[in-house]
Amino acid sequence: MLLLLDILTTAAILFVVAIGLLAVFGVLKIINFAHGAWLTIGAYCAVVAARLGLNPWAALPLAFAVGAALGGLAELFIIRPLYRRPLDAILATWGLGIVVGQLITLAFGRDVQLTPNLLSGTVEVLGTGYSAYRLVALLAALVIGAAFALVIERTRLGLSARAVIMNETLARGLGLDTARVRLVVFMIGAGLAALAGVLLTPLTSVDPTMGVGWLIGAFMLVMVADASFLALAAACLVFGAAQVLVSTFVSPVLGSIAVAVLAALVLRISPKGFSRA
Amino acid sequence: MADMSMAEASRADASAADAAMTGAAGAGLVLTEVSSGYGAVSIVRGVSLAIRPGESVALLGKNGMGKTTLLKTILGLVGLRSGAIAIDGRSVADLSPAKLVALGVGYAPQEQPLFQDLSIRDNLRLALASDRLLPEALARVFGHFPFLKDRLSQRAGTLSGGEQKMLILARALMLRPRLLLIDEISEGLQPSVVDRIAAALAAERVANGTTMLIVEQNLDFALRVANRWAALKLGEIDDEGPVDGDARARILRHLSV
Repeated sequence: MLLLLDILTTAAILFVVAIGLLAVFGVLKIINFAHGAWLTIGAYCAVVAARLGLNPWAALPLAFAVGAALGGLAELFIIRPLYRRPLDAILATWGLGIVVGQLITLAFGRDVQLTPNLLSGTVEVLGTGYSAYRLVALLAALVIGAAFALVIERTRLGLSARAVIMNETLARGLGLDTARVRLVVFMIGAGLAALAGVLLTPLTSVDPTMGVGWLIGAFMLVMVADASFLALAAACLVFGAAQVLVSTFVSPVLGSIAVAVLAALVLRISPKGFSRA
Repeated sequence: MADMSMAEASRADASAADAAMTGAAGAGLVLTEVSSGYGAVSIVRGVSLAIRPGESVALLGKNGMGKTTLLKTILGLVGLRSGAIAIDGRSVADLSPAKLVALGVGYAPQEQPLFQDLSIRDNLRLALASDRLLPEALARVFGHFPFLKDRLSQRAGTLSGGEQKMLILARALMLRPRLLLIDEISEGLQPSVVDRIAAALAAERVANGTTMLIVEQNLDFALRVANRWAALKLGEIDDEGPVDGDARARILRHLSV
């Protein structure tokens, strides 16, 4: 039972981290390698919120707003000019990630930052204590996933985004302002990354390079999910399970690379990944 | 309609439309020495063509002559290399497709023309900038193609070939265009569907005086829905004229060589 909870909460955290990357990949067709930097930005929003004496939970909307705003600037001034050069755009996001990391180091130093716990303690689950915060993370993943699905399925923006994902030339021919769709989706993706950064703070140390490891995992998941929302959820469950099971029964070191190895295997066997399953 | 010859049908459709041309709301389109293409290759090479408001011009020519590229250039999907494009006297060469659609340009593409995995309703919705006008626009296109009404939630990819073509045209008509660009809408269709599409185009001209530029390879259909024609060859206008008794023979000369 605890194992199952571990799997679910691990999958939830992977999902929260990867979903912003997935949205950007689907619509802009680039992997945003600055995604890890935006996770870090979000985590430092929690640091700043704590220094300002705000309620720790206030860091969530703050991080989303800051992440989305900075993401909007990055899209307008760095990614948009490289619209027709997707490889250069990917490289530019990589560089942007490095710059953001250095700026954060300049402002806050290299040291690990302490953030207040969003929620501490344990909850009684079937007779055993379980980390309350990991359950909150699971809930957060469900809320974010549901909100994301609602926007995609029920709103005009979601329809436009799906149209751009499916056939961008046709979307333009019908008069969709695809530049605006790209901007808004990038802002949402960046905002979600920052939000994920706050949610990570109780689980990981906050330092200027914290985003890198998470970026690699998220990247693998998005490659396997191939821009499909449901495939991402499935991939998170499978990879989360692999990570937890390998960590528990084999070794924690192997567990942390389970995602990468499994992603490579899946893509070797089925290049379309989970989206065809 | 069935026992009427194609020529009579042509005159009936086109003259009904011409009779209603007073108070036309269509846009005028003027192309001056338009050149465009992809990469190092120019596909369209100095095309000049003037279409008056409410006119319907069929653009004919064999495959690879630049017909589709010309339509995409007008809509801004392919960049203009040189020359000028004006709608109602206003230069539109620098406008994005979104701005052109907002000016009232409707487009029925030939390649990958539908979002196969989206519903009929969502395909039609995407033609409008906002859902506010959706009920009215849907009611309008149901008038042309009633079968769409009961199948709004069906995936576009599950429609038959003819139904897909009708959906493509319906979508182009959603925003009540002032200029309609149509790319080989009759391709591969059985005569009954061709009739329905021709009737829809004629009705649209009667009701709204819509200006049309219709790229075609089907000569009978082209002569039926157009009142003028132009033949495109190797990216240039080779010949043009009104749809009259001589049109068929003259066009065939261009299509056969």
